[in-house]
Amino acid sequence: MSVRINPDPAPDLLAAIASNRLAQNTALQQISTGQVVNQLSDNPAAASQDVLIHVQNNQDDQFLKNISALQSQGQTIDSTLSSVVQAVTQAISLGVEGANGTLSDSNRQAVALQLTGIRDQVLGLANQTYQGNYVFSGTATSTQPFVLDATQPDGVKYNGNTDVNSIEITSGQTIPINLPGSQIFTNPSGDLLGALNGLITALQNNSGLPAANTNLDKAFTQLTTQRVFYGNTLQQLQSSQTYLNSDKLQLATQANSLVGADLATSITNLEQANTATNAILSATNQILTTLNLLNYLK
Amino acid sequence: MGSLSGALGIALGGMEVSRGAVEVTSNNIANVNTAGYSREQVNLLENAPVEVGNLLFGTGVSLGQTTSVRDGLLEQRLDQENQSASQLNSFLGPMNQVQSLFNETAGSGLQSLLTAFFNSLTQLATQPSNVSYRQGVLTAGQNLASAIRQDSSNLQSLQGNTDLSVVQSVSQVNQLSQQIASLNVQISGLESVGQDAGAFLDQRTQLVRQLSGLIDISETSAGNGSLTIATTGGTPLVDSGQSFALSTKVNPNNTYHDVFSNAVDIASSITGGSLGGLLQARDQAIPGVLNQLDTLAYNLETSFNTQSRAGFDANGNAGVNFFTQPASVSGAASSIAVAISDPNLVAASSDGSVGSNGNAEALANLQTQKIVSGQTPYDYYSNLVFQIGNQVSQAQSEQTAVGLVQKQLADQRGAISAVSLDEEAVNLIRYQSAYEASANVVNVVNHLLTTTINMTTG
Repeated sequence: MSVRINPDPAPDLLAAIASNRLAQNTALQQISTGQVVNQLSDNPAAASQDVLIHVQNNQDDQFLKNISALQSQGQTIDSTLSSVVQAVTQAISLGVEGANGTLSDSNRQAVALQLTGIRDQVLGLANQTYQGNYVFSGTATSTQPFVLDATQPDGVKYNGNTDVNSIEITSGQTIPINLPGSQIFTNPSGDLLGALNGLITALQNNSGLPAANTNLDKAFTQLTTQRVFYGNTLQQLQSSQTYLNSDKLQLATQANSLVGADLATSITNLEQANTATNAILSATNQILTTLNLLNYLK
Repeated sequence: MGSLSGALGIALGGMEVSRGAVEVTSNNIANVNTAGYSREQVNLLENAPVEVGNLLFGTGVSLGQTTSVRDGLLEQRLDQENQSASQLNSFLGPMNQVQSLFNETAGSGLQSLLTAFFNSLTQLATQPSNVSYRQGVLTAGQNLASAIRQDSSNLQSLQGNTDLSVVQSVSQVNQLSQQIASLNVQISGLESVGQDAGAFLDQRTQLVRQLSGLIDISETSAGNGSLTIATTGGTPLVDSGQSFALSTKVNPNNTYHDVFSNAVDIASSITGGSLGGLLQARDQAIPGVLNQLDTLAYNLETSFNTQSRAGFDANGNAGVNFFTQPASVSGAASSIAVAISDPNLVAASSDGSVGSNGNAEALANLQTQKIVSGQTPYDYYSNLVFQIGNQVSQAQSEQTAVGLVQKQLADQRGAISAVSLDEEAVNLIRYQSAYEASANVVNVVNHLLTTTINMTTG
């Protein structure tokens, strides 16, 4: 006796059609989204990893925006300090000129007056603001840091604080982004505003000029030393920017290898699914319309 | 020596039997597409011979009971696979919706909002006195809180919908149990008098198949054609002509329905059928996701608040809670909200100066600290995404495997019980020929009788 086979092929045919339609849909979705992972269940591990890649990418985007803002601020400060350097260089020349014993009293007074102008210019620069915030007042950015005050030994009062802000510029890398103004302009190792005031007084009184000039030289050295900080900061920002841009490229490559679709493969899959669907549809039509023995009964 | 009238009787019997066989064949052909129908087979019985003198003469054929061709064990295997398939199907329904809520690959989910929130803090750190940056932190916090609340609410709605399906399924179980019990009575009644109960057996098989799609069952034959059905956890559903109804009652602790049998809560023992899948989604999978969302929200809120209170606002005052302080982990996701509306209250400063960014940095750094169950918020969330995807992926793989087994079993069942039109056509021709042959015998015997009668008159 022959083996009896299932005489009803319909369920198997329907299952085969459904399976091919699913393959068509999957390939089509991969082509339209450019991703092989379109649901978490398509590849849970890749989907989960993809979350962390997106986090890092979004963080990188923000770091880049922050760096750009910090660069603008840093450049403003650096150019302010450059103006200070120029002014102090001029003050040093005037100090040397004033110390020349051949200078008349009235000429010395004129030099003192010129120096007063330079001191006021430096004071103005020390009270520089960026977007409404004082840049040399530590973290007390709403307080004007420097005012002339005759009661102070050096004639200047610092109203800011000595706090420093640090900021993360790439994941895990934090750098300080400001120096308190007192460290630049009234540093005990070289008090710039105090030295300018001292030189003015020395010229006015025609006494202690060499010492006053020496103090200004020391203050100038201190100024240029401190200025290096901002140069370094700008360099660090620049190198972080370069790193972040390459990191973003790296992340995009990683994301693509995790969830990205290979279009050529997806299109081939779609073609295969189309061919298979057509074949099963044609086969279904043929099988279900095949005559059986009853058709031959008379 | 046999008689002509005996031969006539045999031929008539043959015609009747062929007619009956054609009827069975016709019934098979008519039911070729009837779901659950098992083909019927004709049983022809040779009649007992009669002894005339020292000779034995056959007395023809008669029609025995028709029998439905079925394999009871195969039907049970189909029931078992059916309950697995239904369980997975019902589980995947709500879980597919859960994974859509967190479908990061399509851009939905919390990642972008969580990152935007922490990014707003690093931006504020670049210029702590900037009011628009401060407002940015508030807005990003509100967006994140709103998305977490929305996810929590969607998950609870899904639980609620699943609960409705549980109640409906229980009512269907009761209906089917009743119908099966009444069929048990009919089948055992017919079988006790030696009748074939094939049609009722087919109906009962179909109902049991439907029942197995709703709940995991074990079937045992009661011996008189009746079927005893209980859940695999041992709760009786049908015993001969009696059915035992399940009931549902709202659990005051979670407002969802528990399933009772005789006042005993059996929900946890139901593991198969659509009820099993629904209960698994409602009581385990969705609450699991909700709990993780609560844990994320709770730890985010409390850590953020603690750090906020450690800093100072733009007015130099001590920081206040940024989020409303959650009472407990449970429900934290549904209640998360930003507690402040004044951007100056964002505690960015660590020294009381408006330009200090120390606390903004500390707040931003929470994103890389293990503040949520020993993981960073991102790692915890990415793990949640993995777990949801993995649960759905596993169920889908099982569904494919069960589908293949079901297909094989259905093919086996078809090979045994399904109607083959070719086979029925062959039978039809055979019975037609037999009928025609018997009719010809009647003609011949009739002719012989006429000849015999004419002999007496001639």
